[in-house]
Amino acid sequence: MTTFEPKIVCFSCNFGWGYLTDPEVREMQIKHWIPVVCSGKIDATHILKAFRSGADGVLILGCVDGDCHFQDGNYQTRKKVQLLQRVLPSFGIDPRRVRIELSLDPEGNSIRKIVEDMGRDLRPMGPLGMKEISAKPVATR
Amino acid sequence: MWKTVNTGAARAEEALKQFLPPCQLKCPINEDIQRTNVLISMLPLDPEGAREGICQIGDYLHERNPLFTVCGYVCGLCELECNYQAKGGSIRRRLLKRFISDAYMDRIREKEEINVEKTKEDVAIVGGGPAGLMCAYDLSRRGYRVTIFETSDRLGGALWLIPHYRLPEDVLTTAVNNLVRICEADVKYNARIGEGKYSLDKLRKDGFKAVFIAKGTPMPRILTYGREKVEGQELSGVMYGQTFLYEVSHGNIQPNYFGGKKIIVIGGGNVAFDVARTARRLCGETTLVCLECEDKCSKDGIPADEEEIKGAWEEGVQIVYSRGVRRIMGKGGKFQRIECPHCASVFDETGFNPVFDSTDIVNIDGDVLMITVGQGPDRSFLQKENLLDDRGRLAVDPLTLQSLNKDWVFIGGDVRKIGFMVEAMHEGLVAAESIERHLRGLDMRAGRKREYEPQDIPFRRIYKHEPEVVWIPPEKRLHFQLFERGFTLKEAIEEAKRCARCGPCVSCKACLAIGIQHSLPVVEVNEETCSGCGICTSICYYGSAQWRFKDGGTVSTTDTFRCKACGMCVVACPSQARRMIGDPMDTRIQEVFSTLGA
Repeated sequence: MTTFEPKIVCFSCNFGWGYLTDPEVREMQIKHWIPVVCSGKIDATHILKAFRSGADGVLILGCVDGDCHFQDGNYQTRKKVQLLQRVLPSFGIDPRRVRIELSLDPEGNSIRKIVEDMGRDLRPMGPLGMKEISAKPVATR
Repeated sequence: MWKTVNTGAARAEEALKQFLPPCQLKCPINEDIQRTNVLISMLPLDPEGAREGICQIGDYLHERNPLFTVCGYVCGLCELECNYQAKGGSIRRRLLKRFISDAYMDRIREKEEINVEKTKEDVAIVGGGPAGLMCAYDLSRRGYRVTIFETSDRLGGALWLIPHYRLPEDVLTTAVNNLVRICEADVKYNARIGEGKYSLDKLRKDGFKAVFIAKGTPMPRILTYGREKVEGQELSGVMYGQTFLYEVSHGNIQPNYFGGKKIIVIGGGNVAFDVARTARRLCGETTLVCLECEDKCSKDGIPADEEEIKGAWEEGVQIVYSRGVRRIMGKGGKFQRIECPHCASVFDETGFNPVFDSTDIVNIDGDVLMITVGQGPDRSFLQKENLLDDRGRLAVDPLTLQSLNKDWVFIGGDVRKIGFMVEAMHEGLVAAESIERHLRGLDMRAGRKREYEPQDIPFRRIYKHEPEVVWIPPEKRLHFQLFERGFTLKEAIEEAKRCARCGPCVSCKACLAIGIQHSLPVVEVNEETCSGCGICTSICYYGSAQWRFKDGGTVSTTDTFRCKACGMCVVACPSQARRMIGDPMDTRIQEVFSTLGA
């Protein structure tokens, strides 16, 4: 288990993150990177689909609160993420596997570090679908 | 660093119904305000890195408006219609533009001449003010050989009447001199068209196929009381405000010129305030007398801008409201005092028609009287060249600016209708289009008037308050250096971010220009699956997702003119009836998810 490296899907808003850097350069630095025009476009289904496809964590990078190019897209997503985090445990998924960060980094150099930090936090949990499900069986009625 | 690519695509395209952001609608030359706001908001935070981006924005602005560096100091018309006005204060677009302008000054001097072969006809432009310069620039770009005939020894026209504390001299000279250099227009200084042998017909004989007259309003209006001219305007010590500003801008007046003197300025417009504040800076004890009252909301309110009044008041200009001038009195040919009856009402149904109360009269003493009650065109020239109609008005088509008496003459700018600088610039562009149509034998009127609707402000949770404009304190600003502080890079980015981006994507396309998006996606509704629940209408910030009645039920629709393709409705739709066409996100998601290896 020590060699386990979590697969983290990183959605990042184009208006707040890394717009000064060439997308090709960014793509080489960050694995599983999905640039989006607004974090508000990301739905709970996208996150769940990522887990189903084999991701161990989902990271969403949006603009600073109040600075969204599309008015309040980042707020909507944060709302969705927080609700989803409440629901995930009942499916046996640790809510820490979804993370949202509302900040600004035009150069985008910090994205890599944020992904690495999240990876370090997720590493002890192991791959998705192993530990959590056996540790916390879903309560059914 | 991003690189803007200008494909010329960001412009208001012709359509049946078209929205524009209100700022762009208000701007007479329809500058892409939203686009530049977005670009400024995405500049790098370090000044070194930002320089390149600022130059790119400047290049883009310069291409549309070669006088934008001047606009950044004196215009700001767009701010009057900003949707944000009622939500915390208009976006300070003028200061944003000034920010670009300050950083662009060096670049403008290095800019290369336009690369157009001038194979078309010769066109003469009479007057080197904003209208004439814009017309010259636009015609040169179209391949015409342009000659500007300027009465004085420098270009800029009435812009020279703006005091240097508002518009620094080098900003103006750099803008106008480089404009004619870049468009390679020929300039003839001290060329007084209409005087002596220089008639319009002479120009025609010399081979000019069309003439644009933008001579402005060089004649100060004389002071009247009732319908009569007020006597005493020839006394020593009485002068006209425009003449005074002209002399000051030429550097003919020494500092401290009015030291220990009492100056009276008559007039309530912005020019009168320019005169009063300039006199104050020359150490005069200044009083401004105007007909109008201090309440700007009233029908007789003072026409000058709030900022001018505040600035003048802070600098110690005494303002006397609601007073006319009945007599100018002097002794030994020298001005002494004015007699001012109370003005009960300025405007009535017929327009300007002041009513005075002769029982309430005060006398105001002074050493110098400056009359600044408006200005007018050189009518004798227009008369002589047969450009007036039977009723003595300018015979010109307001849409095409073509003279009704001589079809090869076009008239625009202040000489036709006094207005703001950018309105004159707009007329210059209109005239250029008309001259092209006239010389190419095209229809003069087809497709020239377009109707646009201003877009509403989008809904959002947080509206931010406008930043304070920083002025040098009044006791330290009685000189001719700028008194307003510009934005720093950080402030400019913050302020540009505040812009709500009301306008439709087609008139902006900033995201395409810097490669954030590759095309503008379109939201499509599948009416078969749409349940008509209306969740999309409540999530849409732009009023684009709307209900429509269909077959006794409701379905949702998307107004493509309003839609920004943010995708919020697609995500919100519980029956997945909405999808985005031309959006690469789904493909990208599939690509990435397939590498996860579940």
